[in-house]
Amino acid sequence: MSNKEKYNKAFMESFSIEETILGESLEYNTIPEWDSIGHMGLIAELEDAFEISMEMDDIIDFSSYKKGMELLAKYEIAFEA
Amino acid sequence: MSSLLDKPQLLQKLKSFHDYVRKNNGEIGTKQRGIDLNLNNACNLTCDYCFTNSPIGDHAKDTLPLDMVRSVADQADELGMFEFDLQGGELLLRPDYLFDALEAIRPERFYFYLTTNGYFLDEAMAKRLAEAKVSRVSVSIDSFDEGTHDKIRGRKESWRRAMDALKHVQNQGMDPYLNITVGHYNAFSEDIEMLCQYSDDQDYTTLLNVAVPSGMWLKLDKMAEVIVDEKDKARLIALRKKHKNILRNIWNPFDKNYEQVLGCNTVNRLYITPLGDVLVCPYVHVKIGNVFEQSLKEISEYGFKIKHFKEHSPLCLAGENKEFITKYMSSEGQSIFNPSRAQDIFTAEDFV
Ligand SMILES: C[S@@+](CC[C@H](N)C(=O)[O-])C[C@H]1O[C@@H](n2cnc3c(N)ncnc32)[C@H](O)[C@@H]1O
Ligand code: SF4
Repeated sequence: MSNKEKYNKAFMESFSIEETILGESLEYNTIPEWDSIGHMGLIAELEDAFEISMEMDDIIDFSSYKKGMELLAKYEIAFEA
Repeated sequence: MSSLLDKPQLLQKLKSFHDYVRKNNGEIGTKQRGIDLNLNNACNLTCDYCFTNSPIGDHAKDTLPLDMVRSVADQADELGMFEFDLQGGELLLRPDYLFDALEAIRPERFYFYLTTNGYFLDEAMAKRLAEAKVSRVSVSIDSFDEGTHDKIRGRKESWRRAMDALKHVQNQGMDPYLNITVGHYNAFSEDIEMLCQYSDDQDYTTLLNVAVPSGMWLKLDKMAEVIVDEKDKARLIALRKKHKNILRNIWNPFDKNYEQVLGCNTVNRLYITPLGDVLVCPYVHVKIGNVFEQSLKEISEYGFKIKHFKEHSPLCLAGENKEFITKYMSSEGQSIFNPSRAQDIFTAEDFV
């Protein structure tokens, strides 16, 4: 599975949403599922999928689907264009 | 708007709670989650079932001094508690005191919420609460039927004003929680189903409070009418699965399959009365200390020495465990202001 697929899967599983919802407009609190509880689930899902432990500052900055991909670069996770 | 990402201290504590529960098979264990603080017991309504005895004006004038409110919040934060709930009585009866208390608590460190009957919560008040960094407001609604709610709560207009209040909460960007008290008497009623559907349609969160035979309902002959039975519990689980926006304090809010049970929250969520007494939860009127005499840490350590509170219980002790209720929650005159003392009712065998 590619990193992008893993990333998308974490979102879809955490929020029980379909792939069509994923994209640049998806931000924290823009769908009911991405609330404070959902955020914890998403981070845990990503930590498992990429075998990383995220720093608190990054968890705070993780405010959108797009921003998340930028942040994961710090953990040497690259997304193909 | 007060979102989780604007509250780094909260996020850190919530992550720690989440990770603990995850490693502990979805169970709460001895991880503490928060405080329910009854700032003042005065109320404008007279609900049939009120566990705080507010309808009879019990200790309506007592309040916790602001210095103590501040100290409790500081201690709770140090203990890693992420939730802080202010309730009464009805705290919007005295907004000045409420906002002074908010300043003392500093809600930016917590998933902070107010539990209210919504009667005095108009758009302007919702705005003030949001500005004070309140994350959530829980408004209690007993039925989808206006007449039924107003009858239970003893005042006309209370249903309409509560329903409007939730809209104001949502408009101001706080989390709108619709609290429903469910017991054997209404678990299968159609209007509870309709209320859950309404909450789902409005994108609210529903919080089910299982009815507890305490306070105004402290009568053993009420038990059969109040306490949920196996069929009722199955009904609540079916509602959880169907609506996905429904929480109970004993359910694991992080579970995406809507199945896991955190377990009874006694001592994990402490209840503090206006006199400073610390009870093991809002519904079990058993005292384990007083904030004027001991630290919250000492009180919590003592509480977790009692096996009923330390060991995992998949049932809510106060609302579902008849043996516990009969043995420890049925003594004449027990109330939040006249709690049973743990050292008096438990014997050496009850301690671990
Ligand atoms: C005591 S009230 C105080 C806050 C506010 N006056 C209100 O009604 O929301 C706190 C919550 O406890 C619920 N409650 C009251 N008595 C109860 C009982 N005997 N069993 C279960 N929940 C109860 C109320 O419906 C409310 O959601
Ligand atoms: S449940 Fe709330 S609104 Fe009803 S009497 Fe008790 S404190 Fe007042």
